[in-house]
Amino acid sequence: MAVSTPILGMAILIYLMVVFYLGWVGYKKTKNTEDYMLAGRKVNPFVLAFSYGATFISTAAIIGFGGYAGAFGMGVLWLVFMNIFVGIFIAFIIFGSRTRRMGSNLKAVTFPELLGRRFQSRFIQGFSGALITIFMPLYAGGVLIGGARFMETALGVDYNIAVLILAIIVAAYVITGGLIAIMYTDALQGALMFIGMSILLVITYVKLGGVVEAHQALTNMAHLVPENLAAAGHTGWTTMPAFGSPTWWTLVSTIILGVGIGVLAQPQLAVRFMTVQSSRSLKRAVLSGGPFIFMMAGVAYIVGALSNVYFLETKGMISFDVVGGNIDKIIPEYINSAMPDYFVVFFLLTLLAAAMSTLSSQFHTMGTAFGHDLYREYIMKGKIAKTINITKAAIATTILISVALAYILPPGIIARATAIFFGLCAAAFLPMYAGAIFWKRMTKEGATASLLAGTFSSLFWLTFVHAKEASALGISKALFGVDTILTGTWTVVDPILIATPLALIVAVVVSLMTKPASQEHIDMCFK
Amino acid sequence: MLGIDDPQIWLAYILCFVSAVGCMIYGALKWNDGSDDPEVEA
Repeated sequence: MAVSTPILGMAILIYLMVVFYLGWVGYKKTKNTEDYMLAGRKVNPFVLAFSYGATFISTAAIIGFGGYAGAFGMGVLWLVFMNIFVGIFIAFIIFGSRTRRMGSNLKAVTFPELLGRRFQSRFIQGFSGALITIFMPLYAGGVLIGGARFMETALGVDYNIAVLILAIIVAAYVITGGLIAIMYTDALQGALMFIGMSILLVITYVKLGGVVEAHQALTNMAHLVPENLAAAGHTGWTTMPAFGSPTWWTLVSTIILGVGIGVLAQPQLAVRFMTVQSSRSLKRAVLSGGPFIFMMAGVAYIVGALSNVYFLETKGMISFDVVGGNIDKIIPEYINSAMPDYFVVFFLLTLLAAAMSTLSSQFHTMGTAFGHDLYREYIMKGKIAKTINITKAAIATTILISVALAYILPPGIIARATAIFFGLCAAAFLPMYAGAIFWKRMTKEGATASLLAGTFSSLFWLTFVHAKEASALGISKALFGVDTILTGTWTVVDPILIATPLALIVAVVVSLMTKPASQEHIDMCFK
Repeated sequence: MLGIDDPQIWLAYILCFVSAVGCMIYGALKWNDGSDDPEVEA
């Protein structure tokens, strides 16, 4: 690390002071439950767009997927397109306006509560809350590990202490300031990320002699693909993997479709649609949301892929070999060797901001799911104390669980955690959520059946069929003596392609077979 | 195109730009839209 610790320390100190100031502002502005859970439903469109984007893009997206692009090339740019078109445009305009309106009609303050009230079912709210409570700590643990590893390498802080410091800082402003503090700090963090990634893109293209020249140099490197990767379908960094090969299936099913569509049903993102005052705010948010995602994901993947050209010119090796096969190190290694020192400091701050902005929303969502949806509304039937107090206690509890997971889980499982969570949310929530806001005929029974079918078929596929998770978990091996119970192409088909359509079919069939909700209730939901 | 031979890749590259710019245009055009939307009760 070429950067002097005092300068970096100073930059981080200033950054943290601003973060705490915003946390304090959030605390002062929080007067009631809607403030704490939904930032008072009055958030500015720019804050919404940057907060949504900064939450969406974690360190894992920049480092992990950027590294993936370094190893497998630019095919992952399809994910960027999906992130912008589905994750911003469709999400804000089509899902967002309906969600906002229904959320306010039903006075729902969380994503599970919106679903629960739409279908008049405490079970749906409680089960959704439980699902988030159980599986989101895995995802949060993964982000926590990423942030702590960054502090370990950049600041020389012991990893175990770094996990604690990071969790305590984020916990402090999330617990006291609620969603107002989260969204304002997110917007600050988003702005830092935007500047950092813009500089990274420009310097990279300038260094490699221009846009077309850089791409051409990368295209010319196709013959350098290592044999083992070529055998799995890798054809070069500016070509798609061979159709139907394992690399193609992972790229298309898990990454492009899994993450690209899964984003629509992420509770921590969907809840943000309920934080603005009108559909106009959502439309205005699209203006900054689209370019923001492009500058995050697009830049990370383009730069990740182009790092190959830089390393070939300077070290005579492809990125994959420079980092000894650990693709998570491609982006950090590239930043350290190719970027000027002052930028390295800034970029480290960018990564810290990316980790914190995702963590804060995860903590808030897990806490509201556990405290409000599962405990207060489902177990206690809404007859206990104030939501804010219970939610604060639940946030603290789920943070402790995430910290514990960050200490005990092996890296192999953690790396899969984001994918598991995204896939599970898509299967469990997407058909039910889409039906809730677009299909008046969808019934409580249809929604419940879809939720259960999506959840359990997704978990089944993860545990017994999809090779990456199944072999890491080892449950199939223990029960049946084989890593996966199906073989061949099935083992690389992502659960989202199996479980989500199944949940959709179940939702439609069961809804049509059961009695619709009263017209009065539907009118209230859709008014 | 753009130094990339595979249409499946340069198309993705261009679509990323087009969709980002499209979002900006949409947001700008609809800046004052939706006034019919009833305000939320606090």
